[in-house]
Amino acid sequence: MVIKAPPTTLTIHEIYQRIISDNDLFIVDVRNQEDFATWHIETAQDIDMVNVPYFDFLEDETGSVEQVKTEKEVVVVCAKEGSSAFVADILHQHGFQANYLAGGIKEWGNHYVFRTVQETDNWQIYQVDRAARGCLSYVLISNGEAVIIDPLRHTDKYLDFLQQKGATLTYLLDTHAHADHISGAPDLAAATGAPYYLHPYDGIHPFDILPPKISYKMLADGDEFTVGDLKIRAIHAPGHTLGQVAFLVTAASGEQFFFSGDTIFLDSFGRPDLGGQGEKWAPIVYDTLFNIIKEAVSDEALLLPGHYAKASEANLNGLFAQTMKQMWQSNGALQYTERDEFISFVLSNLPTMPEQYIEIKRVNAGLVEPDEEAMSELELGKNICALSDAYDKK
Amino acid sequence: MSEQTYEISTTLDVTGLMCPMPLVKARKAIMDLEVGQVIEVLATDKGSIKDFQGWAKVAKNVELLAQNEKEGGDTTIYAHVVKRTK
Repeated sequence: MVIKAPPTTLTIHEIYQRIISDNDLFIVDVRNQEDFATWHIETAQDIDMVNVPYFDFLEDETGSVEQVKTEKEVVVVCAKEGSSAFVADILHQHGFQANYLAGGIKEWGNHYVFRTVQETDNWQIYQVDRAARGCLSYVLISNGEAVIIDPLRHTDKYLDFLQQKGATLTYLLDTHAHADHISGAPDLAAATGAPYYLHPYDGIHPFDILPPKISYKMLADGDEFTVGDLKIRAIHAPGHTLGQVAFLVTAASGEQFFFSGDTIFLDSFGRPDLGGQGEKWAPIVYDTLFNIIKEAVSDEALLLPGHYAKASEANLNGLFAQTMKQMWQSNGALQYTERDEFISFVLSNLPTMPEQYIEIKRVNAGLVEPDEEAMSELELGKNICALSDAYDKK
Repeated sequence: MSEQTYEISTTLDVTGLMCPMPLVKARKAIMDLEVGQVIEVLATDKGSIKDFQGWAKVAKNVELLAQNEKEGGDTTIYAHVVKRTK
Protein backbone atom coordinates (compact mmCIF):
# COMPACT_ATOMS: atom_id res chain seq x y z
CA MET A 1 0.00 0.00 0.00
CA VAL A 2 1.28 3.44 -0.94
CA ILE A 3 1.64 5.63 2.13
CA LYS A 4 -0.48 8.72 1.64
CA ALA A 5 0.60 12.17 2.79
CA PRO A 6 -0.64 13.09 6.27
CA PRO A 7 -3.81 15.20 6.46
CA THR A 8 -3.55 18.92 5.93
CA THR A 9 -6.03 21.77 5.50
CA LEU A 10 -7.60 22.86 2.22
CA THR A 11 -9.27 26.26 1.90
CA ILE A 12 -12.89 26.46 0.78
CA HIS A 13 -11.68 28.24 -2.33
CA GLU A 14 -9.40 25.30 -3.25
CA ILE A 15 -12.16 22.79 -2.56
CA TYR A 16 -14.77 24.71 -4.56
CA GLN A 17 -12.43 25.11 -7.55
CA ARG A 18 -11.50 21.41 -7.48
CA ILE A 19 -15.17 20.40 -7.47
CA ILE A 20 -16.24 22.66 -10.30
CA SER A 21 -13.19 21.97 -12.49
CA ASP A 22 -12.26 18.31 -11.91
CA ASN A 23 -14.84 17.01 -9.42
CA ASP A 24 -12.08 14.77 -8.04
CA LEU A 25 -12.92 15.09 -4.34
CA PHE A 26 -15.07 13.01 -2.02
CA ILE A 27 -16.52 14.98 0.89
CA VAL A 28 -17.10 13.41 4.28
CA ASP A 29 -19.18 15.81 6.36
CA VAL A 30 -18.83 14.75 10.01
CA ARG A 31 -21.34 17.14 11.61
CA ASN A 32 -24.52 15.82 13.21
CA GLN A 33 -27.35 15.01 10.80
CA GLU A 34 -29.47 18.00 11.75
CA ASP A 35 -26.73 20.53 11.04
CA PHE A 36 -25.83 18.73 7.82
CA ALA A 37 -29.47 18.92 6.69
CA THR A 38 -29.53 22.67 7.38
CA TRP A 39 -26.66 23.32 5.00
CA HIS A 40 -23.69 21.70 3.35
CA ILE A 41 -21.33 22.29 0.47
CA GLU A 42 -23.25 22.39 -2.77
CA THR A 43 -22.42 23.21 -6.39
CA ALA A 44 -24.22 22.95 -9.73
CA GLN A 45 -22.44 19.61 -10.20
CA ASP A 46 -23.33 16.56 -8.17
CA ILE A 47 -20.74 16.17 -5.44
CA ASP A 48 -19.64 12.82 -4.03
CA MET A 49 -20.51 13.33 -0.39
CA VAL A 50 -21.56 11.40 2.70
CA ASN A 51 -22.66 12.57 6.13
CA VAL A 52 -21.11 10.37 8.83
CA PRO A 53 -21.02 12.20 12.19
CA TYR A 54 -17.68 12.19 13.99
CA PHE A 55 -19.27 10.47 16.99
CA ASP A 56 -20.13 7.56 14.68
CA PHE A 57 -16.39 7.25 14.04
CA LEU A 58 -15.88 7.22 17.82
CA GLU A 59 -18.43 4.47 18.40
CA ASP A 60 -17.96 2.34 15.30
CA GLU A 61 -14.77 3.17 13.45
CA THR A 62 -14.88 0.22 11.05
CA GLY A 63 -18.53 0.72 10.09
CA SER A 64 -18.00 4.43 9.61
CA VAL A 65 -14.89 4.06 7.47
CA GLU A 66 -16.79 1.58 5.29
CA GLN A 67 -19.20 4.37 4.37
CA VAL A 68 -16.37 6.26 2.71
CA LYS A 69 -16.56 4.29 -0.52
CA THR A 70 -14.20 6.07 -2.84
CA GLU A 71 -10.87 6.00 -4.63
CA LYS A 72 -10.87 9.81 -4.71
CA GLU A 73 -9.06 12.15 -2.39
CA VAL A 74 -11.22 12.78 0.67
CA VAL A 75 -12.02 16.14 2.27
CA VAL A 76 -13.47 16.04 5.78
CA VAL A 77 -15.79 18.86 6.83
CA CYS A 78 -17.04 19.74 10.31
CA ALA A 79 -18.35 22.73 12.23
CA LYS A 80 -15.07 24.33 13.28
CA GLU A 81 -12.17 22.15 12.03
CA GLY A 82 -11.36 20.09 15.15
CA SER A 83 -13.48 17.03 14.43
CA SER A 84 -12.59 17.02 10.76
CA ALA A 85 -8.87 16.92 11.59
CA PHE A 86 -9.61 14.06 13.99
CA VAL A 87 -11.57 12.05 11.39
CA ALA A 88 -9.05 12.84 8.62
CA ASP A 89 -6.39 11.20 10.84
CA ILE A 90 -8.55 8.10 11.23
CA LEU A 91 -9.13 7.91 7.45
CA HIS A 92 -5.41 8.43 6.83
CA GLN A 93 -4.66 5.45 9.08
CA HIS A 94 -7.07 3.44 6.95
CA GLY A 95 -5.09 4.28 3.81
CA PHE A 96 -7.05 7.26 2.49
CA GLN A 97 -5.59 10.45 1.10
CA ALA A 98 -7.59 12.65 3.45
CA ASN A 99 -7.49 16.39 4.08
CA TYR A 100 -9.93 18.71 5.82
CA LEU A 101 -11.65 22.05 5.37
CA ALA A 102 -9.74 24.91 6.97
CA GLY A 103 -11.96 26.83 9.41
CA GLY A 104 -14.93 24.47 9.18
CA ILE A 105 -18.31 24.92 7.55
CA LYS A 106 -18.56 28.64 8.36
CA GLU A 107 -15.92 29.20 5.68
CA TRP A 108 -18.41 27.77 3.22
CA GLY A 109 -20.99 30.21 4.54
CA ASN A 110 -18.59 33.07 3.92
CA HIS A 111 -17.48 31.93 0.47
CA TYR A 112 -18.23 34.40 -2.30
CA VAL A 113 -17.72 33.68 -5.99
CA PHE A 114 -17.47 36.58 -8.46
CA ARG A 115 -18.63 35.62 -11.96
CA THR A 116 -18.62 37.73 -15.10
CA VAL A 117 -22.05 38.41 -16.56
CA GLN A 118 -20.65 40.56 -19.34
CA GLU A 119 -17.43 42.47 -19.90
CA THR A 120 -17.02 45.04 -22.63
CA ASP A 121 -14.34 47.71 -23.06
CA ASN A 122 -16.60 50.34 -21.53
CA TRP A 123 -18.64 48.51 -18.93
CA GLN A 124 -18.69 45.30 -16.94
CA ILE A 125 -21.31 43.47 -14.92
CA TYR A 126 -20.44 40.82 -12.32
CA GLN A 127 -22.64 38.43 -10.35
CA VAL A 128 -21.50 37.74 -6.80
CA ASP A 129 -22.71 34.40 -5.50
CA ARG A 130 -22.70 33.56 -1.81
CA ALA A 131 -23.29 29.93 -2.62
CA ALA A 132 -24.04 28.61 0.85
CA ARG A 133 -27.06 30.89 1.06
CA GLY A 134 -28.20 31.14 -2.55
CA CYS A 135 -27.80 34.91 -2.31
CA LEU A 136 -26.81 36.91 -5.37
CA SER A 137 -25.51 40.45 -5.46
CA TYR A 138 -24.08 42.45 -8.33
CA VAL A 139 -21.24 44.80 -9.16
CA LEU A 140 -21.61 47.12 -12.17
CA ILE A 141 -18.61 49.07 -13.37
CA SER A 142 -18.21 51.71 -16.07
CA ASN A 143 -15.80 54.55 -16.52
CA GLY A 144 -14.03 53.79 -13.24
CA GLU A 145 -17.25 54.07 -11.25
CA ALA A 146 -19.05 51.21 -9.58
CA VAL A 147 -22.50 50.38 -8.31
CA ILE A 148 -23.26 47.48 -6.00
CA ILE A 149 -26.76 46.03 -5.90
CA ASP A 150 -27.76 44.11 -2.76
CA PRO A 151 -24.29 43.81 -1.17
CA LEU A 152 -23.97 41.15 1.52
CA ARG A 153 -22.35 41.73 4.85
CA HIS A 154 -18.76 40.61 4.11
CA THR A 155 -17.91 44.02 2.76
CA ASP A 156 -14.16 43.34 2.34
CA LYS A 157 -14.97 40.96 -0.54
CA TYR A 158 -16.49 43.85 -2.50
CA LEU A 159 -13.86 46.39 -1.49
CA ASP A 160 -11.05 44.05 -2.57
CA PHE A 161 -12.79 43.39 -5.86
CA LEU A 162 -13.29 47.10 -6.57
CA GLN A 163 -9.68 47.83 -5.72
CA GLN A 164 -8.55 45.10 -8.07
CA LYS A 165 -10.73 46.62 -10.82
CA GLY A 166 -9.58 50.15 -10.01
CA ALA A 167 -13.16 51.37 -9.58
CA THR A 168 -14.66 53.83 -7.10
CA LEU A 169 -17.94 53.02 -5.43
CA THR A 170 -20.56 55.55 -6.54
CA TYR A 171 -23.92 54.10 -5.47
CA LEU A 172 -25.16 51.37 -3.16
CA LEU A 173 -28.60 50.07 -4.06
CA ASP A 174 -30.68 47.63 -2.03
CA THR A 175 -33.63 46.19 -3.91
CA HIS A 176 -35.48 45.85 -0.59
CA ALA A 177 -35.03 45.35 3.15
CA HIS A 178 -33.79 41.78 3.25
CA ALA A 179 -35.18 39.21 5.67
CA ASP A 180 -32.81 36.33 4.97
CA HIS A 181 -29.45 38.08 5.20
CA ILE A 182 -27.79 41.12 6.66
CA SER A 183 -27.17 43.90 4.17
CA GLY A 184 -23.61 45.10 3.64
CA ALA A 185 -24.80 48.45 2.30
CA PRO A 186 -24.74 50.53 5.51
CA ASP A 187 -21.18 49.39 6.31
CA LEU A 188 -20.02 49.98 2.74
CA ALA A 189 -21.60 53.45 2.80
CA ALA A 190 -19.73 54.21 6.01
CA ALA A 191 -16.45 52.86 4.63
CA THR A 192 -16.56 54.62 1.27
CA GLY A 193 -18.93 57.57 1.58
CA ALA A 194 -21.03 56.24 -1.30
CA PRO A 195 -24.75 56.95 -0.83
CA TYR A 196 -27.02 54.06 0.14
CA TYR A 197 -30.45 53.96 -1.52
CA LEU A 198 -33.48 52.04 -0.25
CA HIS A 199 -37.20 52.51 -0.81
CA PRO A 200 -38.57 54.27 2.29
CA TYR A 201 -41.44 51.78 2.72
CA ASP A 202 -38.74 49.22 3.52
CA GLY A 203 -37.02 51.43 6.07
CA ILE A 204 -39.80 50.61 8.50
CA HIS A 205 -39.70 47.21 10.18
CA PRO A 206 -42.95 45.45 9.22
CA PHE A 207 -43.52 43.89 12.65
CA ASP A 208 -42.04 46.50 14.97
CA ILE A 209 -43.38 49.49 13.00
CA LEU A 210 -40.47 51.60 14.14
CA PRO A 211 -38.44 54.08 12.14
CA PRO A 212 -35.01 52.80 11.10
CA LYS A 213 -31.74 53.71 12.79
CA ILE A 214 -29.71 53.47 9.61
CA SER A 215 -29.16 56.39 7.31
CA TYR A 216 -30.18 55.97 3.69
CA LYS A 217 -31.42 57.99 0.77
CA MET A 218 -35.00 57.44 -0.28
CA LEU A 219 -35.44 55.62 -3.53
CA ALA A 220 -38.56 56.27 -5.64
CA ASP A 221 -40.12 54.67 -8.68
CA GLY A 222 -38.49 56.03 -11.84
CA ASP A 223 -35.29 57.25 -10.17
CA GLU A 224 -32.35 57.07 -12.53
CA PHE A 225 -28.65 56.63 -11.87
CA THR A 226 -25.99 56.91 -14.52
CA VAL A 227 -22.61 55.25 -14.23
CA GLY A 228 -20.52 55.71 -17.37
CA ASP A 229 -22.24 53.79 -20.14
CA LEU A 230 -24.84 52.20 -17.88
CA LYS A 231 -28.19 53.77 -17.12
CA ILE A 232 -30.05 52.34 -14.12
CA ARG A 233 -33.79 52.88 -13.63
CA ALA A 234 -35.62 51.96 -10.44
CA ILE A 235 -38.98 50.24 -10.82
CA HIS A 236 -41.15 50.05 -7.71
CA ALA A 237 -42.33 46.45 -7.74
CA PRO A 238 -43.97 45.69 -4.38
CA GLY A 239 -45.38 42.43 -3.04
CA HIS A 240 -42.44 40.59 -1.51
CA THR A 241 -42.01 43.75 0.55
CA LEU A 242 -43.90 47.03 0.23
CA GLY A 243 -40.74 48.88 -0.75
CA GLN A 244 -39.43 46.23 -3.16
CA VAL A 245 -37.66 47.78 -6.12
CA ALA A 246 -36.14 46.21 -9.23
CA PHE A 247 -33.51 47.84 -11.44
CA LEU A 248 -33.60 47.87 -15.21
CA VAL A 249 -30.17 48.64 -16.57
CA THR A 250 -29.65 49.76 -20.16
CA ALA A 251 -26.14 49.84 -21.60
CA ALA A 252 -25.09 52.37 -24.25
CA SER A 253 -25.15 49.43 -26.68
CA GLY A 254 -28.88 49.01 -26.00
CA GLU A 255 -28.51 45.72 -24.13
CA GLN A 256 -30.73 45.45 -21.07
CA PHE A 257 -30.28 43.72 -17.73
CA PHE A 258 -33.05 43.26 -15.21
CA PHE A 259 -31.92 43.12 -11.59
CA SER A 260 -35.10 41.71 -10.16
CA GLY A 261 -34.22 41.53 -6.46
CA ASP A 262 -36.82 39.28 -4.85
CA THR A 263 -39.63 40.00 -7.32
CA ILE A 264 -39.05 37.24 -9.85
CA PHE A 265 -36.47 34.43 -9.74
CA LEU A 266 -35.41 32.00 -12.48
CA ASP A 267 -37.73 29.30 -11.22
CA SER A 268 -39.95 30.95 -8.62
CA PHE A 269 -40.82 34.38 -7.25
CA GLY A 270 -40.61 36.24 -3.96
CA ARG A 271 -43.08 35.09 -1.32
CA PRO A 272 -45.52 37.75 -0.08
CA ASP A 273 -45.72 36.79 3.58
CA LEU A 274 -42.37 37.71 5.16
CA GLY A 275 -43.89 40.95 6.42
CA GLY A 276 -46.68 39.00 8.10
CA GLN A 277 -49.31 40.14 5.58
CA GLY A 278 -49.37 37.28 3.05
CA GLU A 279 -53.07 37.54 2.23
CA LYS A 280 -52.92 41.27 1.64
CA TRP A 281 -49.68 41.22 -0.28
CA ALA A 282 -50.25 38.17 -2.54
CA PRO A 283 -52.51 40.18 -4.92
CA ILE A 284 -49.81 42.86 -5.02
CA VAL A 285 -47.30 40.22 -6.14
CA TYR A 286 -49.66 39.29 -8.96
CA ASP A 287 -49.97 42.89 -10.13
CA THR A 288 -46.23 43.41 -9.93
CA LEU A 289 -45.36 40.29 -11.93
CA PHE A 290 -48.05 40.35 -14.58
CA ASN A 291 -48.59 44.09 -14.96
CA ILE A 292 -45.59 46.09 -13.80
CA ILE A 293 -42.72 43.77 -14.73
CA LYS A 294 -44.30 42.30 -17.83
CA GLU A 295 -44.93 45.83 -19.12
CA ALA A 296 -41.61 47.39 -18.17
CA VAL A 297 -39.11 44.68 -19.03
CA SER A 298 -38.56 43.39 -22.55
CA ASP A 299 -38.23 39.71 -23.40
CA GLU A 300 -34.63 40.25 -24.48
CA ALA A 301 -33.49 41.68 -21.12
CA LEU A 302 -31.25 39.37 -19.14
CA LEU A 303 -32.82 38.46 -15.80
CA LEU A 304 -30.38 38.62 -12.89
CA PRO A 305 -32.25 37.60 -9.73
CA GLY A 306 -31.54 38.15 -6.03
CA HIS A 307 -31.67 34.48 -5.13
CA TYR A 308 -31.69 30.94 -6.34
CA ALA A 309 -32.98 27.87 -4.56
CA LYS A 310 -30.86 25.16 -6.17
CA ALA A 311 -27.31 25.32 -7.49
CA SER A 312 -28.57 23.44 -10.56
CA GLU A 313 -30.40 26.58 -11.71
CA ALA A 314 -27.04 27.88 -13.00
CA ASN A 315 -26.42 27.92 -16.74
CA LEU A 316 -23.39 26.32 -18.38
CA ASN A 317 -21.21 29.29 -17.45
CA GLY A 318 -22.17 28.89 -13.81
CA LEU A 319 -24.26 32.07 -13.97
CA PHE A 320 -27.72 32.41 -12.51
CA ALA A 321 -29.22 34.27 -15.46
CA GLN A 322 -31.54 33.84 -18.40
CA THR A 323 -33.50 36.10 -20.71
CA MET A 324 -36.89 37.26 -19.53
CA LYS A 325 -38.37 35.35 -22.44
CA GLN A 326 -36.85 32.09 -21.21
CA MET A 327 -38.01 32.84 -17.69
CA TRP A 328 -41.64 33.48 -18.71
CA GLN A 329 -41.58 30.15 -20.54
CA SER A 330 -39.90 27.98 -17.94
CA ASN A 331 -40.59 29.45 -14.49
CA GLY A 332 -42.29 26.58 -12.69
CA ALA A 333 -44.08 28.86 -10.22
CA LEU A 334 -45.92 30.84 -12.92
CA GLN A 335 -48.28 28.10 -13.99
CA TYR A 336 -51.36 30.09 -12.90
CA THR A 337 -51.82 33.35 -14.75
CA GLU A 338 -55.43 34.06 -13.74
CA ARG A 339 -55.47 36.43 -10.78
CA ASP A 340 -57.65 34.43 -8.36
CA GLU A 341 -56.02 31.11 -9.19
CA PHE A 342 -52.62 32.67 -8.81
CA ILE A 343 -53.41 34.11 -5.39
CA SER A 344 -54.84 30.89 -4.00
CA PHE A 345 -51.87 28.98 -5.43
CA VAL A 346 -49.48 31.37 -3.69
CA LEU A 347 -51.27 31.21 -0.37
CA SER A 348 -51.36 27.41 -0.42
CA ASN A 349 -47.64 27.10 -1.18
CA LEU A 350 -46.10 29.32 1.47
CA PRO A 351 -43.17 27.67 3.23
CA THR A 352 -42.78 28.23 6.97
CA MET A 353 -41.18 31.52 7.82
CA PRO A 354 -37.83 31.13 9.57
CA GLU A 355 -38.10 32.73 13.00
CA GLN A 356 -34.82 34.62 12.61
CA TYR A 357 -36.11 36.57 9.58
CA ILE A 358 -37.87 39.07 11.83
CA GLU A 359 -34.63 39.67 13.72
CA ILE A 360 -32.58 39.97 10.50
CA LYS A 361 -34.93 42.74 9.35
CA ARG A 362 -34.29 44.45 12.69
CA VAL A 363 -30.55 44.30 12.02
CA ASN A 364 -31.08 45.74 8.53
CA ALA A 365 -33.13 48.61 9.97
CA GLY A 366 -30.38 49.28 12.52
CA LEU A 367 -32.72 48.47 15.43
CA VAL A 368 -30.33 45.89 16.88
CA GLU A 369 -26.58 45.42 16.50
CA PRO A 370 -25.57 41.78 17.01
CA ASP A 371 -21.93 40.67 17.24
CA GLU A 372 -20.20 38.56 14.59
CA GLU A 373 -21.16 35.23 16.15
CA ALA A 374 -24.81 36.23 16.46
CA MET A 375 -24.83 37.46 12.85
CA SER A 376 -23.38 34.15 11.63
CA GLU A 377 -26.03 32.29 13.56
CA LEU A 378 -28.85 34.44 12.11
CA GLU A 379 -27.60 33.70 8.62
CA LEU A 380 -27.32 29.92 8.86
CA GLY A 381 -28.63 27.85 5.99
CA LYS A 382 -30.20 28.53 2.63
CA ASN A 383 -32.52 31.47 2.02
CA ILE A 384 -36.25 30.73 1.98
CA CYS A 385 -37.41 33.85 0.16
CA ALA A 386 -39.09 32.07 -2.72
CA LEU A 387 -42.42 30.35 -2.78
CA SER A 388 -42.33 26.72 -1.67
CA ASP A 389 -40.90 24.36 -4.25
CA ALA A 390 -43.99 22.16 -3.87
CA TYR A 391 -44.74 23.12 -7.45
CA ASP A 392 -41.68 21.12 -8.50
CA LYS A 393 -44.00 18.17 -8.94
CA LYS A 394 -45.18 19.82 -12.15
CA MET B 1 -35.30 12.46 27.23
CA SER B 2 -36.90 10.72 30.19
CA GLU B 3 -38.20 12.70 33.14
CA GLN B 4 -36.46 10.64 35.76
CA THR B 5 -34.58 12.03 38.72
CA TYR B 6 -30.90 11.29 38.88
CA GLU B 7 -27.95 11.59 41.19
CA ILE B 8 -24.72 12.82 39.69
CA SER B 9 -21.74 10.63 40.61
CA THR B 10 -19.08 12.71 38.94
CA THR B 11 -18.59 15.93 37.02
CA LEU B 12 -16.32 16.34 34.00
CA ASP B 13 -15.22 19.84 33.08
CA VAL B 14 -14.55 20.23 29.36
CA THR B 15 -15.26 23.96 29.23
CA GLY B 16 -13.19 25.75 26.64
CA LEU B 17 -12.64 22.59 24.61
CA MET B 18 -13.91 22.31 21.04
CA CYS B 19 -15.26 19.24 19.35
CA PRO B 20 -14.41 16.39 19.23
CA MET B 21 -12.74 16.74 22.66
CA PRO B 22 -15.89 17.06 24.85
CA LEU B 23 -17.18 13.76 23.51
CA VAL B 24 -13.79 12.05 23.43
CA LYS B 25 -13.21 12.88 27.11
CA ALA B 26 -16.80 12.09 28.09
CA ARG B 27 -16.55 8.61 26.54
CA LYS B 28 -13.36 7.90 28.50
CA ALA B 29 -14.86 9.15 31.76
CA ILE B 30 -17.99 7.03 31.27
CA MET B 31 -15.87 3.88 31.08
CA ASP B 32 -14.67 4.67 34.62
CA LEU B 33 -18.27 4.73 35.90
CA GLU B 34 -20.21 1.78 37.26
CA VAL B 35 -23.23 0.78 35.19
CA GLY B 36 -26.14 2.93 36.37
CA GLN B 37 -23.97 5.83 37.50
CA VAL B 38 -24.45 9.31 36.10
CA ILE B 39 -21.89 11.86 34.88
CA GLU B 40 -22.41 15.55 34.30
CA VAL B 41 -20.31 16.98 31.46
CA LEU B 42 -19.82 20.76 31.51
CA ALA B 43 -19.09 22.22 28.06
CA THR B 44 -19.00 25.70 26.57
CA ASP B 45 -19.18 24.62 22.93
CA LYS B 46 -22.79 25.24 21.84
CA GLY B 47 -22.41 22.60 19.15
CA SER B 48 -22.10 20.02 21.93
CA ILE B 49 -25.90 20.09 22.46
CA LYS B 50 -26.83 18.44 19.18
CA ASP B 51 -23.66 16.37 19.18
CA PHE B 52 -24.42 14.77 22.56
CA GLN B 53 -27.96 14.06 21.34
CA GLY B 54 -26.70 12.42 18.15
CA TRP B 55 -23.98 10.52 19.96
CA ALA B 56 -26.37 9.18 22.63
CA LYS B 57 -28.42 7.63 19.83
CA VAL B 58 -25.50 5.71 18.34
CA ALA B 59 -23.61 4.82 21.53
CA LYS B 60 -24.86 1.53 22.95
CA ASN B 61 -23.93 2.04 26.59
CA VAL B 62 -25.35 5.46 27.49
CA GLU B 63 -28.57 7.35 28.04
CA LEU B 64 -28.75 11.15 27.83
CA LEU B 65 -30.89 12.12 30.83
CA ALA B 66 -30.84 15.90 30.57
CA GLN B 67 -29.19 18.92 29.01
CA ASN B 68 -29.21 22.06 31.12
CA GLU B 69 -27.97 25.57 30.48
CA LYS B 70 -26.10 27.28 33.31
CA GLU B 71 -24.72 30.76 33.55
CA GLY B 72 -20.95 30.67 34.04
CA GLY B 73 -19.76 34.26 34.17
CA ASP B 74 -19.80 35.74 30.64
CA THR B 75 -20.26 32.35 28.98
CA THR B 76 -23.11 29.89 28.97
CA ILE B 77 -22.28 26.41 30.18
CA TYR B 78 -24.08 23.43 28.73
CA ALA B 79 -24.40 20.58 31.22
CA HIS B 80 -24.98 17.19 29.62
CA VAL B 81 -26.20 14.56 32.06
CA VAL B 82 -25.36 11.06 30.88
CA LYS B 83 -25.99 7.66 32.48
CA ARG B 84 -23.91 4.58 31.81
CA THR B 85 -26.40 1.83 30.95
CA LYS B 86 -24.09 -1.11 30.11
